[in-house]
Amino acid sequence: MERGSLYPNGADTSAAAAAAPEKTTMSIVQQRFKADETVHLIFEAYQIRGQEHFEGLLTLVSSASGGTYALISFSLLRTPLTASNELKINKVFPINKTFQLTTDTKGSISEQQFDLSTDDDRPSKYYYHPIRTDLSAVDFNEFCAKINSCKKAMWEAELPSETTLNFRWLDDYREIGEVKQELKKRQSQYIVYKDIIVYCATWNVNNRPCWDNNNSLRPWLASGEKAPDIYAIGLQELDTTAKAMLNGNQMQMYAAQWIRKMVESVHDGVEYEELQSVRLSGIMLTVIVRKELRQHIVRCRVNSVARGMFNALGNKGGVAVSFQLNEAKICFVNSHLAAHMTYVAERNDDYKAIEDGMRFEENGLLCRTINDHDHIFWLGDLNYRIQEPNGQQRPGPMNDAQTFELLLQYDQLRTEMSHDRCFKGYREGEIKFAPTYKYDVGTDTYDTSEKQRAPAYCDRVLWKGKRIEQLAYNSVMEIRQSDHKPVYAIFRVKIKTRDEAKYKLVLSEVLKAVDKRENDNQPQIITERTIIEFGLVRFNEPAMRDFNVYNNCPQQVDFMFKVKDSPNDICEKWLHVDPQSDSLMIDSARSIRVRMLVDPTSITGLLHKICNTPGKCDFDILILHVRSGRDIFITVTGEYQPSCFGLSMETMCRTNRPVGEYKQDEIKQLMVDVTPEYRVTMPREFFLLIDYLHKQGDQLKGIFQSYDRRQPLSSQFNAVRDWLDTWSEDEFPGTPQTAAEALLLLLDLPEQALLEPFVEDLLHSRSKSEAMELIALLSAPKRNVFMHLCMFLREGIERHDYEANNVAAIFGRILLRTSKSNVTLDYQNLCSQFMRRFIHVDSPDTNAGGNGHAGGANGASGASGTSGASLQA
Amino acid sequence: MARHFDHMFKLLIIGDSGVGKSSLLIRFSDDTFSGSYITTIGVDFKIRTVVIDGLRVKLQIWDTAGQERFRTITSTYYRGTHGVIIVYDVTNGDSFANVRRWLEEIQNNCDVVNKVLVGNKNDDPDRKVVITEDAQRFARQMDIELFETSAKDNLNVEDMFLSITRQVLNHKLRTASDEQQKDRIQVKQSKNKGKTNKCCS
Repeated sequence: MERGSLYPNGADTSAAAAAAPEKTTMSIVQQRFKADETVHLIFEAYQIRGQEHFEGLLTLVSSASGGTYALISFSLLRTPLTASNELKINKVFPINKTFQLTTDTKGSISEQQFDLSTDDDRPSKYYYHPIRTDLSAVDFNEFCAKINSCKKAMWEAELPSETTLNFRWLDDYREIGEVKQELKKRQSQYIVYKDIIVYCATWNVNNRPCWDNNNSLRPWLASGEKAPDIYAIGLQELDTTAKAMLNGNQMQMYAAQWIRKMVESVHDGVEYEELQSVRLSGIMLTVIVRKELRQHIVRCRVNSVARGMFNALGNKGGVAVSFQLNEAKICFVNSHLAAHMTYVAERNDDYKAIEDGMRFEENGLLCRTINDHDHIFWLGDLNYRIQEPNGQQRPGPMNDAQTFELLLQYDQLRTEMSHDRCFKGYREGEIKFAPTYKYDVGTDTYDTSEKQRAPAYCDRVLWKGKRIEQLAYNSVMEIRQSDHKPVYAIFRVKIKTRDEAKYKLVLSEVLKAVDKRENDNQPQIITERTIIEFGLVRFNEPAMRDFNVYNNCPQQVDFMFKVKDSPNDICEKWLHVDPQSDSLMIDSARSIRVRMLVDPTSITGLLHKICNTPGKCDFDILILHVRSGRDIFITVTGEYQPSCFGLSMETMCRTNRPVGEYKQDEIKQLMVDVTPEYRVTMPREFFLLIDYLHKQGDQLKGIFQSYDRRQPLSSQFNAVRDWLDTWSEDEFPGTPQTAAEALLLLLDLPEQALLEPFVEDLLHSRSKSEAMELIALLSAPKRNVFMHLCMFLREGIERHDYEANNVAAIFGRILLRTSKSNVTLDYQNLCSQFMRRFIHVDSPDTNAGGNGHAGGANGASGASGTSGASLQA
Repeated sequence: MARHFDHMFKLLIIGDSGVGKSSLLIRFSDDTFSGSYITTIGVDFKIRTVVIDGLRVKLQIWDTAGQERFRTITSTYYRGTHGVIIVYDVTNGDSFANVRRWLEEIQNNCDVVNKVLVGNKNDDPDRKVVITEDAQRFARQMDIELFETSAKDNLNVEDMFLSITRQVLNHKLRTASDEQQKDRIQVKQSKNKGKTNKCCS
């Protein structure tokens, strides 16, 4: 990948804009971002939370100012997208070193899934559809390839030094932004400034090991009255001899000795400890802090930038320590810049390289540079010289302020700084000490060697940042074992500190405010009512009710009826809801229709529910779910008008008046009754139908052709229902066909098949007599109905009204109904075979059973008479 | 990297109708109280982020309808709950007697869950019928912490919510590794791709 396309610039953005004159999803997404941010691709992905499924988009975005890429996950408030405000950010994934896209589908529910993770967050799971719906979106392979190439190009290639990669632009899109920004806004309420003393010291030790030093370092490190809080001590030329540089261990030992010596030489009376040391060859920076301060220091990082020969040797360059004390970010830099009078530009270059190259890593993000700190102290042998005009003689004795001032007029550092060629924004205190370079070792005399190097202020301490006050800046003449004199500077720094008590208060207020906003922004809808009253509902009579839902909140709201555990649907079988989900624009309303129909497919379920619900039974409770919001329970209620259809033979035999005169609750009492006490031997409703059919003579031809409870009922059905439910003495209101339909339903609709609980055994019985033994054990109403029915059917077969095999198949399936889901041919055959035994006219054991049972099986002539008798309990 | 919160927990408030479940929630989330009674018909939730031991804990608190007719349907909301707040009304003996039933509901619908027992409306000694000692004895027997609160007078509400949160937090930190396993999505493949999202133009 070429750098031009990797680091997005303005040209990229305009190209994307020009390529999208129409309102594509891509162009809508682009509107969501700032001018220097470019959307490179969109990918359709959805997420599953709980049982819900959320359509979303993953977008790859880059920022020109940050120089980085990120994936931003949106959820869609509407599909297809029409405007950018329908995009809601739900997560931001910076593509940093920790970013991962994994497609491990082990133990998962879908092949089309992947995880995204970045930093310490738990991975987020996404799913995608095999086929994309939006043409401006990419497919999964393209998506993965592009992300990988971005990550690779950004993090594996060498970093361009002129670009500072950062992810700060993402703060605007993060959820954390809100709390963070709010806290920042209210900083003044909990930030106090606390004085600390910072002691900076620098010394070019000219390759002298510290044991050379008979004198103590105390004049250099323990000056000033107040004990400092932080020391930053920079050394240069620790040992730059080739031998030392090749022997790492020896260097290490030198360094350790120096550190020990320095820690011993700091201010008395206060306990100190070394916070961190960093060394680049002979350049070392040691930060020593008060022990009690240590616990307040976090995010301590070090780094170095090598310069010198080939920019890599490290005999020149810089080292730095960065950390946060309370709320203040502090950075110390120790550098040794290029030497020699004429190398001003090289020194400037070294400075720039250190400033640009010094990075402090943080959780895989290259996020801190030197300039990201509140307080920066830059010390070291900066090597800038005094460039006196040609021919001008060095003035005589150099120990008075006047001379220093004169010399400083020609100080290269001051000249370069005044022209902004280096150390931009840095300040330096007044110099009231003699040039620190170059002395004859062991003396206070300037170089007397052949080279006669001009004296210079090589060793300096500069600072940058707010609330820094210099208290002292001096050199130490009496330390003489180097050709440089050591220099120190003392500062009073007012550092940002959190007043913990105040902070806690502000944080809790901020969290409350942010939470309140979230609570207040919860999507809301109002329902016209939460109880849908159907009044009296009758079997096979459709009814419907409408109710309105309104959106009264300032955003679009999606609502849907939630699928429940039981039934595994949004509503019971006898209900139908339309629409099941929809979106409501602001201030809009929608009417929802609830239809109710108790029919052959749903009656069993309804009666079951009535029997098994303690107290008053509602028809159903619907869960109206507002996406990202609350659930509203819609109670669908009313009174079911009992009918004989669906009731068990036992229940019908317990009635003492027509079923139509019973209330839901009363019929429930009869239904849950288990005592074997019946008012009649056989349900009157059954008898009435058989009796009517019996009297129809040859009109019964072909009457039991087929049966399916899902078939629509005939138009006369409800009249027949009322005729049965009122024990009407009027003429039958339908045709023989309707009566046959009603008879089949009457037998089929009860929850339990007529021959239960012996269906299994009966199917496998080998003879009629064996079956009769089991049938004798059925409850009296069932047994009587069965025997009477067989007798009736046999009669019809004898008269050739209908065909035995056909009738056996239809009735067998009803009377021996199984709850098993897959009905096999084998099972159907068994049912028919069983029925044939009981209805077959020439069956050899026709007379084996029926001894003493209601109606018996003694031919057609006795049928009506026996039935009539059996109705007397 | 700083995050909006360190932990997120789901808490559930259950108890008889009218004991003040919604009032407790509103007091905790909005710090307000309304004397007028509105029955909760459904399941409502509010969020609030609290700081415990320097950790930001975001609570999603679900307030359920207490009415008997909703008993079966509300039980489905126990899933994925980290902590349950069982509320009774100290001025209503029946609501206290029913606590046992609510505890059974929890047992039937959740695995391991942290609980707290709350006697609300503890602001009028004259009307109080569930005496503290009885409630305390029962709570000890059931091994639940008891809080007597008043959403109206803002007594003990904050403490109660913080206590259950701390309980959940400690539980989570103790069983951190198990938790990750449990959090795996367990959903039936729901391919409602053809979901109609009608546009209002």
